[in-house]
Amino acid sequence: MPELRGGQLAVILCAADAEALDALVAPGHGARTLRTCSDEVLVVAAPDVADTVAREVRDRIAALDPDALVLDVTDGWSAWSLIGADAAHAFSYLSALPVPDPGGFTQGDVARIGATVLGGDDAVTILVPAYWRQHVRERAIRDANAIEVRP
Amino acid sequence: MATLRLDGRRIEVQDGDTIGAAAFRAGVRTFSRSLKSHRRRGLYCGTGDCANCLVTVDGMPGARACVTEARDGMRVTRETGWPSADRDTLAIMDRMHWATPVGFYYKVFSRPRWLWPLAERVIRRATGTGTLPPTEHVTATPTRFLRVDTLVIGGGVAGLAAAAAATGRVAVAEGGSIGAAAIDPEARAAIDRLAVQARVAGVEILERHAAIGIYEGPSVPLLGPDELVEVEASRVIVATGAIEAHGVFPGNDLPGIWLGRGAARVAAAGVKIGDRAIVVANTDAGERIGAALRAAGAHVTVVTGRVLEARGRTQVSSVTVLTPQGRRAYACDALVLSLGWAPRDSLLRMSPDPEVVGAGEVVLPGCSLTAAEDSGRAAARGESVEARLAEPWPVLEHEGYVCVCEDVRVHDLEAAWEEGWTSSEILKRYTTATMGPCQAALCSRHLAAFTQEKGAVPGATGRTTARPPLRAPRLEELIGGVHEQAERRTALHERHHALGARMDHSGLWLRPGTYGEFREEIRAVRQRVSVMDVSTLGKFLVGGRDARALLDWTFPLDVASVAPGRARYLLALDEAGYVMDDGLLAALRDGTFFLTSTSGGADRMEAWLRNWIDRLDLHAHLVNQTAQLGAINVAGPHARDLLAALSGDDLSREAIPYPGHGEIEVAGVPCRALAVGFVGELSYELHHPRGRSVELWDALLDAGRRWDIRPHGLDALDVLRLEKGHVYLAQDTMPDDHPTKLGLDWAVAMRKPDFVGKRALERMAQLPLERSLVGLRFDGSPQRGHPLTVDGAIVGRITSCTESEAVGGSIGLGWVRAVDGVFPAQLRAGELTATVVPTPFYDPGGERLRA
Amino acid sequence: MSLLVPCPTCGDRPFTEFAFGGELRDVSSPDTASDFARVYLRENTASAQEERWFHLLGCRRWVTVRRDTTANRFER
Repeated sequence: MPELRGGQLAVILCAADAEALDALVAPGHGARTLRTCSDEVLVVAAPDVADTVAREVRDRIAALDPDALVLDVTDGWSAWSLIGADAAHAFSYLSALPVPDPGGFTQGDVARIGATVLGGDDAVTILVPAYWRQHVRERAIRDANAIEVRP
Repeated sequence: MATLRLDGRRIEVQDGDTIGAAAFRAGVRTFSRSLKSHRRRGLYCGTGDCANCLVTVDGMPGARACVTEARDGMRVTRETGWPSADRDTLAIMDRMHWATPVGFYYKVFSRPRWLWPLAERVIRRATGTGTLPPTEHVTATPTRFLRVDTLVIGGGVAGLAAAAAATGRVAVAEGGSIGAAAIDPEARAAIDRLAVQARVAGVEILERHAAIGIYEGPSVPLLGPDELVEVEASRVIVATGAIEAHGVFPGNDLPGIWLGRGAARVAAAGVKIGDRAIVVANTDAGERIGAALRAAGAHVTVVTGRVLEARGRTQVSSVTVLTPQGRRAYACDALVLSLGWAPRDSLLRMSPDPEVVGAGEVVLPGCSLTAAEDSGRAAARGESVEARLAEPWPVLEHEGYVCVCEDVRVHDLEAAWEEGWTSSEILKRYTTATMGPCQAALCSRHLAAFTQEKGAVPGATGRTTARPPLRAPRLEELIGGVHEQAERRTALHERHHALGARMDHSGLWLRPGTYGEFREEIRAVRQRVSVMDVSTLGKFLVGGRDARALLDWTFPLDVASVAPGRARYLLALDEAGYVMDDGLLAALRDGTFFLTSTSGGADRMEAWLRNWIDRLDLHAHLVNQTAQLGAINVAGPHARDLLAALSGDDLSREAIPYPGHGEIEVAGVPCRALAVGFVGELSYELHHPRGRSVELWDALLDAGRRWDIRPHGLDALDVLRLEKGHVYLAQDTMPDDHPTKLGLDWAVAMRKPDFVGKRALERMAQLPLERSLVGLRFDGSPQRGHPLTVDGAIVGRITSCTESEAVGGSIGLGWVRAVDGVFPAQLRAGELTATVVPTPFYDPGGERLRA
Repeated sequence: MSLLVPCPTCGDRPFTEFAFGGELRDVSSPDTASDFARVYLRENTASAQEERWFHLLGCRRWVTVRRDTTANRFER
């Protein structure tokens, strides 16, 4: 039975022209840059580097697309991680999506809602709009037999 | 000694027994009574294909005794026959064929009409297979998704060979246990060897998981003992094998008549199927079957030929066969048929996908073990195998049960044909042949052959369509996690609970209906100050150099007329010019735009805007901030006073005009304050980071105690907005309401060159206005939805209504139709009088919200 | 159970992740007469047609794809 942990993740959104995003150099500081579609990038980072990462993205994209929008959208997202050797199996009770490789991501139907899924080592992180935080928690416990571990 | 109870009687269970084998060994010959005529039926196919042996196991009906593992302590009951399967009072039905011809329910008992409901009740009780256990509630079966490159259905020789040879991620779904269907040591050895190969190759073998259909994808649901697995596969290899062809001849449904493989399987469990067994084999399986039966102690004679007739009373006692040497009659207590092969091809026939192929006996019936293995490997390599015709095929004699499940005889098919039902699909529906629990496993080819013999037109002679499910799934299997609604919650959810709110489902959202007394809440808004959690509103940020062009195209308002710092009521029209949603558009000082939509319309608004960005190739950036921002509406005559207590910012009308917005800090929380007017009092809709909602809410309620603040919910909101004549979309509006019908022409800038819906509005402006939404006053309390009449004729309907303390009396909105080109000013709503009045009812000049 | 829609960003996905946007049609019309046809009339062809699908549970973007309405298969 996998562990379920509520995540603390910062999320920076960059909405810009596709060509600008193609040329954008991803920020460092351990952040993960997800090209969610041609005109949007989500950067997922640890909360303590959120401001630095946001600044980096803002500065870099300004030269490529002056009209780009860069927002700290952390408040809009909730993250839940399934942790353990059986995390991928547990995830299969929530979604038909293939578990992404560590460092990779996918987007699609998880527990009947739209989610962004991050692959990790013996871990699957489910990122959903914040208003669905409780829904994912309940489904993970009921259908994936996850045990919630609070910080 | 392990035992089970069968209808209360204790029966010994030996190792590896199925329920059918244990029961047969104990002398049970009648396993069920047929649907219509209540004839005795015994073990026939022995492989889980027919429906003769359906039993209820530990309260759950629908188990096939011949393939269900017997366990110590099981309680098994036969499902048909009253008071028992052995002594069935309704056996008299077998003499009532004259009263129950094919399609009798269309002919008998339908007149006089009052007789039918009575007859139906009796008929229902006399038929059916099994009773569902009464359950208090149904819990969903755990459902999981499995994605594979190749799914093999059927864990026999061909299936396991295919799985072992296939590349990528492979799974095998086997309805029973691996090897249980093997009838001789050679087959068992092959299966064991191939199972080891498959496991070594990393194949996932799912035993006791039955595939009930193949859907587009291809995707295959597997019913397991306590889970449902939804498999998405790139390829599906169907290796479900074949059974012997069903024999149709007089007496063909007597207990003691077997299909060859099933008999051999029961014999392999050490059960003697009879003292004198006759095997009629036109395939080359005869000797092998005979050997298996002899090993269990039966005296066996193997013949070839055409079965003309079987006779017996409660079970078979003799058979007449037309052999190459002539007619022969044999005394027997077991008749075993191997007259031809019927591939189990329902799954294959369900799917036109080229990615679904067959391997083994399902395409090469009667092939050798080696050929089956080779075809499995060929299928794994992507080579499709040409299905071989199922030959030889038994002749349909002049009489006999064609559809054993539904008691349809050759005679019945003939009668139906004479009545004019001259195609296989229509014959199926009229006679119910192929519609029983075995789902055409036995008789689909027979029905097709019948129509061919009778000379039906081409196209009317095919086998009836194969459809899922192959087996009846239970309700809890169907609902597994699929159909529940996901609930959205705001950040203030716990606060609402703590305040004792009654939480309502408002679309996808959970929202407070009231905190106890909604009339008190209304008074707080109208007289003092109140707050409402409106975090559910759709919220969007629009930027980019084409932002203005996007908004000008998508919406009918003139974006240029909204100066930075100002806001405007926003109407969203669809391409037919009908009102789709509404909200507010705020022009931000940096050239971007912030817009809100109704809570229920957020996803649609995002899709709508993204559609136009895409189709018009605009350089516009859209961010859906619905989740990211919370919103609290502070409303009431003291709204500004309350904010002033928590903010040092300029809150005057110069700083935040109406309608307009300003960026302020309230209790240390950065907010975009939208000056709005939905409830008709001075209001500030504070949009803020969701993570600080609780902080802001607590601060407002705390500082608001000075004015006896109380929060309001949806119940109060309904009255407040109605007092201002504001519409609730989909309650007061209909899908074909264009702005004129709602009195919202002022929100449409027809002077713009083009926008979504403009041409439609131009077109509709040429037509007379037939319907209008109006304000109403009543001399009593009507009900929402009540029709409005003029001289008894319905000309409209009340869409919203309420008692209003603020304006005194009963008010509402409703749509009315023009009568002779004129809209009526007075109407009736049942006993009440409804007078059309202008809106808003409350503060018509809008002074309170502009304060 | 799953008609798979080819999303260029997310790959082939079950149609349940999408909202269907109908046949592809022109963005606007020059006059009211042709506008009626554009808004209300459909080709409804028994062959391949261009369609709009919105990937609601995925990338939340629109795609235009070609689907054969008789075989119910998408062309790549």
